[in-house]
Amino acid sequence: MTTWVLFTPELYCLLMAAAFFTLSMAARPNPRRDYLVALFLTSIGVVVALASVRLEGTLFFAAYRVDLFSQVFKVLLAAGLFLVVCLCTELNSVEERHHPEFYLFLTTCTLAMMLLVSSVELLTIYIALELSSYSLYILVPLRRGRGMDVEAAIKYLMVGASASAVMLFGLSYLFGVTHTTYVAEIIKVLPGVMHTPGAILGLLLTLCGFFFKLAVFPFHFWAPDVYQGAANQVTAYIATASKVAAVAILMRMVALSGGTSIYLVKVLVALSICSMTLGNLVAIVQKDMKRLLAYSSISHAGYVLIGILSMTETGYASAIFYALAYLVMNLSCFLVVIKVAEDGGDLKVAQLAGLHRRSPLLAMVLMLAVFGLAGIPPTIGFTGKFLVFAAAVEKGYLGLVILAMVNATVSLYYYILIVKAAYLLEPDEEQAKLVVSTPTRVLTGILVTVMVVMGVYPHHFLEVARAAARALM
Amino acid sequence: MSVASAGFPYLTAILLSCVAALLVILFIPEDRKMLIKWVSLVFSGITLALCLIVYVAYDRTMGGFQFVEKIRWVQSMGIYYHNAADGFSLPMLLLTGIVLFTGVLTMWELETRVKEFFALTFLLVTGVFGMFMAMDLFFLFVWYDVSLFPMYPLIAIWGSTRKEYGAMKLTLYLLAGSALILPGILYLYVKSGLNTFDIAALMHPGVFTPFQQKFAFLLFYLGFGILAGVWPFHTWSPVGHVAAPTAVSMIHAGVLMKLGAFGVLRVGIFLCPEGWQYWAELMALLATCGIVYGAFVGLAQTDLKYVIGYSSVSHMGIVGLGLATVTVDGLNGAVFQMFAHGVMTALLFSSVGYIYDRTHTKMIPELGGLSKIMPVASGYFIVAALAGIGVPCLASFWAELLVFIASFRVYPVRGTLAICALVVSALFMLRVVQRTFYGEKNERFAHLRDVSLGLGIPRMILVSVIVLFGLYPSLMLDVVQTAAIPLINGLPR
Repeated sequence: MTTWVLFTPELYCLLMAAAFFTLSMAARPNPRRDYLVALFLTSIGVVVALASVRLEGTLFFAAYRVDLFSQVFKVLLAAGLFLVVCLCTELNSVEERHHPEFYLFLTTCTLAMMLLVSSVELLTIYIALELSSYSLYILVPLRRGRGMDVEAAIKYLMVGASASAVMLFGLSYLFGVTHTTYVAEIIKVLPGVMHTPGAILGLLLTLCGFFFKLAVFPFHFWAPDVYQGAANQVTAYIATASKVAAVAILMRMVALSGGTSIYLVKVLVALSICSMTLGNLVAIVQKDMKRLLAYSSISHAGYVLIGILSMTETGYASAIFYALAYLVMNLSCFLVVIKVAEDGGDLKVAQLAGLHRRSPLLAMVLMLAVFGLAGIPPTIGFTGKFLVFAAAVEKGYLGLVILAMVNATVSLYYYILIVKAAYLLEPDEEQAKLVVSTPTRVLTGILVTVMVVMGVYPHHFLEVARAAARALM
Repeated sequence: MSVASAGFPYLTAILLSCVAALLVILFIPEDRKMLIKWVSLVFSGITLALCLIVYVAYDRTMGGFQFVEKIRWVQSMGIYYHNAADGFSLPMLLLTGIVLFTGVLTMWELETRVKEFFALTFLLVTGVFGMFMAMDLFFLFVWYDVSLFPMYPLIAIWGSTRKEYGAMKLTLYLLAGSALILPGILYLYVKSGLNTFDIAALMHPGVFTPFQQKFAFLLFYLGFGILAGVWPFHTWSPVGHVAAPTAVSMIHAGVLMKLGAFGVLRVGIFLCPEGWQYWAELMALLATCGIVYGAFVGLAQTDLKYVIGYSSVSHMGIVGLGLATVTVDGLNGAVFQMFAHGVMTALLFSSVGYIYDRTHTKMIPELGGLSKIMPVASGYFIVAALAGIGVPCLASFWAELLVFIASFRVYPVRGTLAICALVVSALFMLRVVQRTFYGEKNERFAHLRDVSLGLGIPRMILVSVIVLFGLYPSLMLDVVQTAAIPLINGLPR
């Protein structure tokens, strides 16, 4: 009986999904009711995840491990879900009768990601990954009208399905080399055979599935279209919670190699450089805010990889810290996107013009978040980059760090264009002031506080991240 | 070497007064412009007073790092909140205090987006103060970047002449510099093996091998050098100066460029002395190029602010030349020049700002005969221009003298070239003075009023500082050499 306590956050998510399923059968759509229920349930979800952060143990014939690493990520995922739901006050772009389904699939996706970060058996990992992907395949085309969403959904499905196929192929290689599907067993056998092509190929192909989730080059093609095509709230979810889970599982898989393979590191270095450079260069010419954020997310996947490929405790800890930083900064950006595009449509960068007068608060949040993404102190984005780079230099990858810094400078250009639009440009025709409700004010206050305080004083969360990284190794 | 002080934390108080000003301004409604200005004035006054107290209270006979404040910050990374002041940072703190106070006064007539302007200004100087007092590499870098990014909105919103281009160019150049500095810092952190970012712990001889010092020094020299306007990375500087609004030009040319030179000194020279000796020849070469180039390009300019911009490149070259001599005199002169040039350029930009606000032009051919219309305003500019030329009794004279004596001894050819360039810069400054302030009176501007007493206060403060340190250079040199002599004596022979 006691072992089921370990499963509380997941069970809670399952219950939540059941609740939304029941709501979806209601005779008459009532968005207000759905929103309040979702807000209430997800906020309890954060509490449940926080309460179970200290749990440890294994479940289901040791296929499922609950440790500090997985629990920290579950808290991040639950918080990500809660924050995304907070942004759903004006869910205009999804038809009202679909709102319960919208929350339902957000919840199942979160559930799947929680399963993902705890899975320590290859097939369990695969199933969890597919469950989260399928939830998103449905969420993306939920947006009302215009056809853009369908194109995005099909693209997402195609790239996702190919990545899954490649991953399954890789898993078969891993099984062939190690004769087991348990991560704990693989980690003992694999470093010894890391010099064989089969092992490296198997691990790399397996990683492809997660590269797809994280939108690492060359699995990034879906990102710009999906970001633009999906409803703003769904994009916010894909850009934050989904990325956090991908970072977690990528770390778990890379840790399998035990840091012994020089080839794996080389491939990761190459992917990281390609992702950063491609993402930043293409982002420069983007006019649509969500597309721009998509390319920026591709480049950020590159930065996270730098922490992961260090394959040390500090490296993993820094990647965990970066995941949190990324979650907070991106959510702040999407908060502004969602509030400014009141009708639920897409937002051009130029449409931010005059934001500093329409809503000084939103303009300030945007500036902080954008400078955070560019890695400028005193924001959490800088501290994250600092930790990631410190871990990489410790392993002797100075050249990679210099390249990454040059990339950060390049990225500053388009981030500054956003700030310029919000603070400098004046709209062609006068637009009404944006009304920011009190809950939103509180939410922005929390996000700003986290961004600045964690940026200036990262001590406590860094200790947690280090402990989590130790649990991983 | 370091003296723990349990007394009043003056350095943190300086930072806090800037942060407090920022927060207070953020909570004042936008339309209460006068209140915002008074709040800025009061807080900048407090800051200046604190800087003065620290400068006077520094124990010259003991030397070394004083006013030490050290708090554990991030244990696992070895990051400390560690502040201290020594003979190199004290003049810079005082300079920042003076320029901030006079800058706020200079912008008294600002009417557009007042709240944001002063909030960003205080954010900027918080970074500047923090960088000058930081003794921990992590915090030093954080403050360095904090002082850079407010420049973009400050120039792009309130600037003039190609402001968006200038602002973007400046921001990208300066942050490209930090793309070299951060890897350099991390490199030293890892190679020391001490798990600390503390400068006081890392500066002991023997922590880094000669090769590591040579490599890291190059990163720091190039990274910080961009901000110091080292030739050929100076091109952002005149463009940025011209585009920036008056107070920002003052802070930018007066203080921010010193941040670069100070970074080379505090990080490059303190931590990698052997790298410093190794690359000194290169530094001297680039510095001389800067001095000569700045002087000749300045000769061809017709925009008053461009003239000052290029003279800044030339004068910052003198700082670089002083640092490159690796002598006590050279260091003394370089730091003194940083201070003197800061005050002098602040005065130049302040005067030009006044003229530009009235006449709406800074093109030299369109002005002319201004001394007949605004004798007082012209007077301030002329004093600053004379200081730039290096006229005795003004602060820059001593600084330039020291640098040239030292460089003449170490690099005879480059020293001579630099002195010749000084003649050229005297020529262009005097030409500017002659064309702008003497000659035919321009009737278009005849109705304009001269500087009132209230608006003259900031300029008077700057003039009196120039004259004071020109008459009593030992006020400055006594402080600077408490740091310069131990540094040179500690060098490996």
